[in-house]
Amino acid sequence: MAMPLSDRELKKGSAELLILSLLEDRPRHGYEIGQLIELRSRGALRFNVASFYPLLYRLEKRGWIRGRWVEKAGQRRRRYYRLTRGGRKILEAQRHGWRDFVEAIGRITGIEYA
Amino acid sequence: MPDFKSEIRRSIAGLNLPPTYEEEIVEELSQDLEERFEEALSHGASEQEAEQLALNELTPAGALGDQLKQLKPRAPKPTPPMGIQRSRSRFAGFWDDVRFGLRMLRKQPGFAVVAILTLGVGIGASTAMLSLVRDVLLRPLPYAHADRLYAIWASSESSGQSQVAASGPDLIDYLEQNRSFAHLAGYIPLFTFTWTGDGEPKLVNCTSVSEQFFGMFGIKPYLGRLYEPREYTYLENDTLIVSYRFWKNQLGGDPNVIGRVVHFEGVSETIVGVLPPMSDLFPNTDVWPKHTVRPSWPYMKWRGNKFLRVVGELNPGVTPAMAEEDLKAILRRAPEEPRDLRVHLVPLKEDLVGNVRLPLYATLGAAGLILMVACINVAALLLARMVKREGEIAVRLSLGAGLRRIAQQLVTESLLLSAIGCTLGLMIAWAVLRLLVRVPNLPLPRMDNVHLNGPALLSTIASASAMTILFGWMSSVGFSRLNLSSALRPRGLQTTGRRGLSLALLVTGEIACSVVLTVSVCLLVHSFWRVIHVNPGFQPRSLLRVYLRTNYYDEKGRAFWKGVLTETASLPGVRHVAVSDWRPGRDAATATFVFEDRPNEPTRLPSGEGSWVSDDFFRTVGTPLIAGRFFTEHDDDNAPAVVMINDEAARRFWPGENPIGKRIGVNYTGPGRRSEVAPRLREIVGVVGNVRHDSLDAPAAPAVYLPYLQDETNHDMATMSLFLRADGNVMALADSVRNRIHQLDSNQPVQNIQSVADLVSQSVATRRYTLILVGAFAGIGLLLAAVGVYGVISYTTSQRTREFGVRIALGATRGNVVSHVLRSGARLTVLGSLVGIAGALIIARSLSALLFEVGPFDLWSFVGAVGILAAVSIFACLVPAWRASRVDPTVAMQTE
Repeated sequence: MAMPLSDRELKKGSAELLILSLLEDRPRHGYEIGQLIELRSRGALRFNVASFYPLLYRLEKRGWIRGRWVEKAGQRRRRYYRLTRGGRKILEAQRHGWRDFVEAIGRITGIEYA
Repeated sequence: MPDFKSEIRRSIAGLNLPPTYEEEIVEELSQDLEERFEEALSHGASEQEAEQLALNELTPAGALGDQLKQLKPRAPKPTPPMGIQRSRSRFAGFWDDVRFGLRMLRKQPGFAVVAILTLGVGIGASTAMLSLVRDVLLRPLPYAHADRLYAIWASSESSGQSQVAASGPDLIDYLEQNRSFAHLAGYIPLFTFTWTGDGEPKLVNCTSVSEQFFGMFGIKPYLGRLYEPREYTYLENDTLIVSYRFWKNQLGGDPNVIGRVVHFEGVSETIVGVLPPMSDLFPNTDVWPKHTVRPSWPYMKWRGNKFLRVVGELNPGVTPAMAEEDLKAILRRAPEEPRDLRVHLVPLKEDLVGNVRLPLYATLGAAGLILMVACINVAALLLARMVKREGEIAVRLSLGAGLRRIAQQLVTESLLLSAIGCTLGLMIAWAVLRLLVRVPNLPLPRMDNVHLNGPALLSTIASASAMTILFGWMSSVGFSRLNLSSALRPRGLQTTGRRGLSLALLVTGEIACSVVLTVSVCLLVHSFWRVIHVNPGFQPRSLLRVYLRTNYYDEKGRAFWKGVLTETASLPGVRHVAVSDWRPGRDAATATFVFEDRPNEPTRLPSGEGSWVSDDFFRTVGTPLIAGRFFTEHDDDNAPAVVMINDEAARRFWPGENPIGKRIGVNYTGPGRRSEVAPRLREIVGVVGNVRHDSLDAPAAPAVYLPYLQDETNHDMATMSLFLRADGNVMALADSVRNRIHQLDSNQPVQNIQSVADLVSQSVATRRYTLILVGAFAGIGLLLAAVGVYGVISYTTSQRTREFGVRIALGATRGNVVSHVLRSGARLTVLGSLVGIAGALIIARSLSALLFEVGPFDLWSFVGAVGILAAVSIFACLVPAWRASRVDPTVAMQTE
């Protein structure tokens, strides 16, 4: 990564953080994660399928989350993702960094945040 | 339900994923799309609308495939030959880094310009000086066996002479008896001949050589031939070899020049050869006449007449010490030689290069210090800049950039900086050398061959890469411990910390280097001031000197010289005229003295300077009479022999006595002078003040003055100078003087007309150029140190903006803040000065040979240097101090 912070990096970085956060409490399937991001951001953030799933697979490949097909009675099987121990650490660090980053941005731009 | 599966399959078909993996992806994604489809329906969309909405998730077309491609497990590839793949990807990263680095430099043009200029000047100065030192001092002479070539000198403590050339008999003894040398030759460098009868009369520079000289250096003729052995064995012969430069400039490069007859000294000579260009061996020589050793000219037969320089090529395996013993034994066997005679072998290169070694090394040292100051400065600048970039780096680290990657980036950036700096430095070095080569009268030998050379270039590249490693390392160190939260935290209450300390250390080093430089310059300035304020014992201003080389070797010359005096004395504005063989600014002829009033030891006669003068000489040059009388026009051959002495001679030979009326004999031993009979006794009629015959910085030696009309050998009829004292600009007289002399003798070359003031200033030229160069370097060093101090103080004060705000809010006055900042600058300066003084005490000792009437530990120079530095650094602190005092407490607190 040679370039300074670019839009793409920013979005990628934030998306990773969002996914990890949503998996903190319990495992969720992909559709659910996407819905929650859109819901909780009140529609401000949404990722389309074509980029969202590859992102999930990437996180899985890094070992931060783990997907598993779960069959429940009367339902078709679904792939549920849960946070791994490594992913939990990353989440911690990113959360930290992100907070500082946002604070810094806030200080510079004068935006107050809750 | 639409068939999303086949749609998804289509968009990832090209990836050739493993079938089960592909199936899983298709299943997961199609579920997602189906859910979306159903949700849309439940919100009241039509089936087509819902399908389109779901399919939009796969847009843009190919996006999914692209994203997945990056994740695809890679099929094993054949091993590429020797790391090509690797290096290519690294290279690509490197160019990214270069582009990024350039962008960073453009973003901070002030930083970039200062850093690049600093590096450029440092590298330029040291490369230029290194090239100069290498080409002038270190480059071996371009001759076979150059390491075995030595100049041979004698010395004797009892006669007070430390560098005595050889006489004709000495050379013959050396040639016949030595067992150490493969070749041995005598030569007389750079005397003048008159060239007449082939156009306008001119002077030419001659270096005459004895047999074996050309052979020793392996010189092959460019045109024609060298002298044949038999031509060295008889006196009267008319063959002549000329230099390439003379052939090119004076003879028009005529390819048919061999056989052409030219007239030197009124004698016809036939050109038999042209030598190739020889930039190392008396490059100013026009013609290379030969001189015979046996039979020899009469003046070569007298053992006391030491005017031949001798050069020899040692036999393989013979050490200089062995050869010195060999030659010493030969000399001591000769009659009339002092018993404490010693022989010294000086490597020929050193002998030809002369006394520029110390000034050159001093200047090189100054340039090295500049390079050091420049490096420190750039390191400090980079460090201060890194602190500003901590935020950026921290964000990148937290977004997943590796430490190594960041370090690579930083090293690339400093590499970029030093690459640009090096390029600029090479350009500066090239320009400086071009300039130096063109400086007229630069007292440096071998300048023809000075150019930006390989070793200097290499050392520049070496120092640049060392700097790169240093800078990159320095700026990336510390980031390993960097974490985002601390890097982004406002720094208001934080002290300047580790980086602040490194910065302070760097600047202390910088100040120390500058103190060393400034002390050196102060010592040189003080010496120079002393030198130019030395009383030369005459008045160089408004004094004109016309060098006249004639063809008169006997009494006929007297009429010529009397004519010259009469003709020029009547020129308007001329107050006094005189002729003499005195050469202001050059070494004087030597004479030995015989006393009537004491026993004389023939082998230990005291020596001093001797000059033939006309009667009005002292009034012309402006030397005061201390006792007795000046010469008059009646002191000629028909009158009793008389002599005048200088104050130093009176003081040394007749301490507490009146020397007037005493009688001495003078052996006049200048080059080419003969004295086969004992000198006649002359009565001392006057004592004059000491005159600095050679350079101003040489101590006064005993000197005697003899009326030129009482020269029984008439030797000095051939070469004397006319001196004129006149009102106003003496150089304006040049043309009328030349005309008057040409009226007397139209064949007389009148070439060298100079003001004596210029001649005198030339005698301190080495000193002046050393001073200028070292002074320039010290000036640059001071400037750089000022930039360094300014940078560090303004960086540390800006770090403490909040602190100052608090102080001001709590009632500190602006004056308090200013003095607080100045104090922190003063601390750096004091510390750096202490280190610098310690360094200067060591360096100054090695400069002592360059100093004149100034000790290496000259208090004024040290005080002056530290004072200058203190002033500069206080000045550099003023701006940040003022800025700190302007801090608005409310704004400063709000920045939290």
